[in-house]
Amino acid sequence: MNARPPLSEAPVLAQHAALRAQFPILKQPINGQPLVYLDNAATTQMPLAVLDAVRQFETHDRANIHRGVHTLSQRATDAFEQARTTLKRFVGAGSDHELVFTSGTTDALNLVAQGLSQGQDGRAAVIGPGDEIIVSGLEHHANLVPWQQAAWRSGATLRILLPDAQGRLHEDALARLLTPRCRIFALTACSNASGERPPYETLLAQARQAGALTVLDAAQAVGHSAMQLDTLACDFMAFSAHKMYGPMGMGALVGRRAALERLTPLRFGGDMVQSVSFERAVFAQLPARLEGGTPNVGGAVGMAAAAAFIESIGHHALESHLADLREHAAWGLRRIEGVTVLSAQTSASAIVSFVAQGAHPHDIGTLLDARGIAVRSGHHCAQPLLDHLGTGPTTRASLAVYNTHEEVEQLLTGVTQAIEVLR
Amino acid sequence: MSIDLDLYQDIVLEHKRAPRNFGALPGATHQAEGTNPQCGDQISVALKIEQDRITEVRFQGQGCAICMASTSMMTEAIRGAQTSAARQLQARFRGVLTGTEEADEAYLGKLISLAGVARYPNRIKCALLGWHALGHALQSPLASNAASQGATS
Repeated sequence: MNARPPLSEAPVLAQHAALRAQFPILKQPINGQPLVYLDNAATTQMPLAVLDAVRQFETHDRANIHRGVHTLSQRATDAFEQARTTLKRFVGAGSDHELVFTSGTTDALNLVAQGLSQGQDGRAAVIGPGDEIIVSGLEHHANLVPWQQAAWRSGATLRILLPDAQGRLHEDALARLLTPRCRIFALTACSNASGERPPYETLLAQARQAGALTVLDAAQAVGHSAMQLDTLACDFMAFSAHKMYGPMGMGALVGRRAALERLTPLRFGGDMVQSVSFERAVFAQLPARLEGGTPNVGGAVGMAAAAAFIESIGHHALESHLADLREHAAWGLRRIEGVTVLSAQTSASAIVSFVAQGAHPHDIGTLLDARGIAVRSGHHCAQPLLDHLGTGPTTRASLAVYNTHEEVEQLLTGVTQAIEVLR
Repeated sequence: MSIDLDLYQDIVLEHKRAPRNFGALPGATHQAEGTNPQCGDQISVALKIEQDRITEVRFQGQGCAICMASTSMMTEAIRGAQTSAARQLQARFRGVLTGTEEADEAYLGKLISLAGVARYPNRIKCALLGWHALGHALQSPLASNAASQGATS
């Protein structure tokens, strides 16, 4: 077997111990062993910079936003709107884009799927009977089930862009599915289950060319990849704070203003209206019209701090560090007899998902946990994909900025020994 | 206690590698499936019940080591038993894993080797999957045998 490929000297590695020290949760034993946290695709941990920003807001600036004339309300409003500005810049949004805060990616994708399939005030829904919705076969259930419901609600047909046997998506397969009736194309920027990074730039452009609105689930990309929304043929992009070193229960839907305006609001109440009489209401402009109720202001502050944390490391350094770790893990796992790594050759991914003959992912996961190693086992909310690939449930190790090559070695040793126990 | 001694005892791994009473059961009178939605593991349990006695039991499907070993040992324990005794054992085993009952080796026999699963809450579902299928199977006479079942009960 070949020697492990040489590792690049990413600048992030130079101060890695100091960087790691910014994540207090990592400094604890689990089952008597140092914690090796490799479940970052489920949630990343928060650095002190994010924890401090949230604490600063909650202890100094907390008040309800908008319409208050007192000082704290103004500070909280400023913090919330500053977070919006920071995050728009973070994902490369342009002047014709807007960002709506949500509780996460699932919430954002539901807002799009429901908002396009429900009418409003006598106005027909964007998706109607006989229309078509195309969803890729790589999707998390959060970017599939809302479209199943949208199709059912509107009388549209749902079509799936199936990946090939290696789990890759292809332009010619999309070309065969696109018709003049296609209203929506929904795609992930990186599969949470296989780690596959599809050529989403070209696929989105192809779908827009055919007249479809395009939806990108960027939950597994924003934590390391520099998104350039203004250069993408993307109408709606969803992402979560807790997969980019930010708080849980916070996320965003960012998109072309003209596309966001086509969404029927789903949450009616305070802050999303311009004027109200006892009989009817006139809705506010974007982004307020899609943000009914008191938002998670502290979450928005934390999410913006997380974006600043990522930018302080630099996307390039982050991506090269994660690519090295993934290559190391995929290389080592493939050397273990009977182990198959999904999407082994994909690039710009921080997820390595694998199956081992004769060793079930739940057993591997439990045996790794006994060594302090946290991975995820199962279907990863992408059951149709794993059924299609014929792998069944997998074990998934997912990487973040604080992970090290030593930790990858511990994973490889742990998997080898788990398989020895189980076979 | 190390995890090998606690959860993956030799007897558990031995049943995982060579599950007993595994396969289809021709002439089954009762059958049902259990699914673990987390991992998609699926176990089907088939019974031949004659005059309230389980004369034959087989299972099929795939699962983790804990699931396969638990179901395999279950089939050994209930084969030849009265249906009421099988139900009682199911309730008792479930109670041991969920911490509401003491693990009594004299009663549980080999199944005592799975008592440690109680200390791994996220694995209890794995150990109980086959038992859920058994519980449903006891209440699910196959249509083709419904008439004869009616005659015996």
